Amino acid sequence: MDVAATTTSLVDIGRATLARPSFKSHGSTRVPLAWRNLLADKRRLLRSITGISFAVLLMFLQLGFRNAFLDSALRVIQSIDADIVLMSTTKFRFGRKDPFSRRQLYAARAAEGVLSVRPIYGEWMTSIWKNPETQKTYNAQVLAFDPDEPVFLLPEVNQHLQELRQPDTALSDANARRFYGTASAGTETELSRRRIRIIGTFALGPDFTTDGTLILSDRNFLKFFASDRLAAGTLADVELGAVKVQPGYAAEEVKQSLRQLLPGNVAVRTKAEMLALETAFQNSVSPVGPIFLLGTAIGFVVGMMISYQVLYTDLSDQLPQYATLKAMGYDNAYLVQVVLTQSIFYALIAWLPAWGLGLLLYRLIGDVALLPMHMTFGIVIGTLAITIAMCAIAGLLAVRRVLKADPSDVF
Amino acid sequence: MKALVAWRMIAHEKGRSALAIGGILVAILLMFLQLGFYMSVPQGGLLFYDKMRFDLMLASSSYVFEAQASTFPRRRLLQALALPEVTQIAPLYQESGRWLNADGRLARDVFVIGFNPNDVIFDLPEVMSQSDVLRRPDTILVDTASRPEFGSIGVGRQIEIDHRNVTIGGTYQLGTGFVGLGVAMTSDLNFVRIFPRQKLSDVSLGLITLQRGADPAEVVARLRGILPADTQVFTRREFTNHEINHWVTRTSTGLIFGFGVVVAIAVGLVILNQTLSTQIMRNLPQYATLKAMGFGETHIGGIVAAVAIILSTISYIPAVGLALILYEIIRRATLLPIEMTSARMLAVLALAWGMSALSAIVALRVLRRADPVELF
Repeated sequence: MDVAATTTSLVDIGRATLARPSFKSHGSTRVPLAWRNLLADKRRLLRSITGISFAVLLMFLQLGFRNAFLDSALRVIQSIDADIVLMSTTKFRFGRKDPFSRRQLYAARAAEGVLSVRPIYGEWMTSIWKNPETQKTYNAQVLAFDPDEPVFLLPEVNQHLQELRQPDTALSDANARRFYGTASAGTETELSRRRIRIIGTFALGPDFTTDGTLILSDRNFLKFFASDRLAAGTLADVELGAVKVQPGYAAEEVKQSLRQLLPGNVAVRTKAEMLALETAFQNSVSPVGPIFLLGTAIGFVVGMMISYQVLYTDLSDQLPQYATLKAMGYDNAYLVQVVLTQSIFYALIAWLPAWGLGLLLYRLIGDVALLPMHMTFGIVIGTLAITIAMCAIAGLLAVRRVLKADPSDVF
Repeated sequence: MKALVAWRMIAHEKGRSALAIGGILVAILLMFLQLGFYMSVPQGGLLFYDKMRFDLMLASSSYVFEAQASTFPRRRLLQALALPEVTQIAPLYQESGRWLNADGRLARDVFVIGFNPNDVIFDLPEVMSQSDVLRRPDTILVDTASRPEFGSIGVGRQIEIDHRNVTIGGTYQLGTGFVGLGVAMTSDLNFVRIFPRQKLSDVSLGLITLQRGADPAEVVARLRGILPADTQVFTRREFTNHEINHWVTRTSTGLIFGFGVVVAIAVGLVILNQTLSTQIMRNLPQYATLKAMGFGETHIGGIVAAVAIILSTISYIPAVGLALILYEIIRRATLLPIEMTSARMLAVLALAWGMSALSAIVALRVLRRADPVELF
């Protein structure tokens, strides 16, 4: 094949031999044979890397999609400032109205270790948002709280408490789906056929059932959505109770005392349990988790096949060199070590551009689809480990060709 | 002759050719899978509409998609009857309620469709033959594809929807699509019993049947002139396109699977190209020999192209088989309406062949530069 490369490799072998007068394998070689093999033909290296990289990129994206799917529904829960959440026992997902009596919140305040219990109101079905530009209407998620008892961890919300107290005002989600239209401070439009004034925005983003969110004060919420059953001026039912625990108390023990205090129709969950409940629900609706893991598995199989092919071709072309090594007395363990090192180099070199491209695509897809595509530490480490495993397995499969090589056959 | 030479080249080193075929197979399978997921999104969205009988559809001007249909006055349907071409009208009511499974102590969303049992709305014999069941008060038909969390879907079982006791009077099988985890059908009267805030005079959808031979586009144009702005009129095709467009471009599900398809095709093609070009490059000495023997470039090009096409075609056949098996497994596990279509099979084959041709062209450029003397 490439004469120059062959010569280089043979020279390498010579140097390696000089550097290692005793033929005991293992241990370090001064000449990085695996590295030199890798760089012997740069154009071929590029071609090989492209194939492996794209397989790794596929895994990156599939894992990113999976996280985006699972995390998008969790963003709103994560933005609630609470250690423990009270909710209706039958409430099975965040975006489905299932209120309970606010009286239970007062009862909960009596529990030992409770610092505060603050109400959150919600509406999903009858809340109709009118796009201020096209005048088309869409369902919106509407959340409300008492501005005297802020309950969201969204900084923009807490900066606008004073404005929220004014009648018919709301904060809108700057990351809502595009068809909601752009609403900024000062925009006037309609919510459920009543005039509403937007006094600012916050950043939340849509999920798989919600396209956009509005945050109101409790009093404005009542004006928009009070059911007929309610006497005027009362906020009888709440969607959630956000409980903060006094310093020095563990959430778990406060949860137990709340459990004993509250009737059976109120569920007491730590924030982590509420997040777990939502994830479990998302998984049961459409098992996308397995779908994206299947995609990742395909990436793994494709990657393994490609790296096997790459290594096999490399080894076939360098068979004379390896046979020479064998003839010189190097044992199989050494050859395996060289091939394995080479395959791990492939893994690392292929993973790096895939990671870079992955970051770029995460950004792009996150912006276009408004979904939380985050390059988490787990994904970075996970894909790196999978890539190394993939190439190492391919290396071990391919090395058989070298081990079978008989020096006397080659020449 | 070219094909024979190409075949000999492939058959020469069977192990490596098998490996290449395996790589191409997985790449093609990847494209099939992602396309399947992607296309299942609008298909799931159209599950009900595909089974409904209508030529024109009336919907509220605030209609977004099936699960956000809003309502419009029933009067509009009666107004539509004024046109001689309109032979039948049928109102449809839809609402999402909370299904309480008392045994499992679980609540879940249920999508309820209400219609007059005298109207033939669905092309589903199972539903239409049970219209007498629907006439009983507080009785529903439940889709057997509803999620297991709903509890047993046994005839006679009593459950609660939005705090009202209803009896399961019968079952049918259609699938739930994406409107909810479970779907129930009932009469219009039962519908307003379950959802007391709904009125029979406010309908979600209006199905219009036209006289045979009437031109839907022309009737739609006239209806648009008659009906006020609170109601939209769609032909069947317009309505289907509206629904597909919503699912594909406006929902997170559609967007994610859309990106999935783009990525799968890009990755699939790169892998295809990588595998094919490795295979072709490996035979470079043979091609060079042919060149040295005096064969022309077009002749060698033909052989290279034949190798690429044969490899991708051999991989394509088992890939289709595997895709069908995987579709079936996914259909059972996720209840996604994932199906193979001949258009998709042709599109993927075209992609595979296109990539084969491209890989052959790239390889030929390398070959053209190659000097037979150097190759040995």
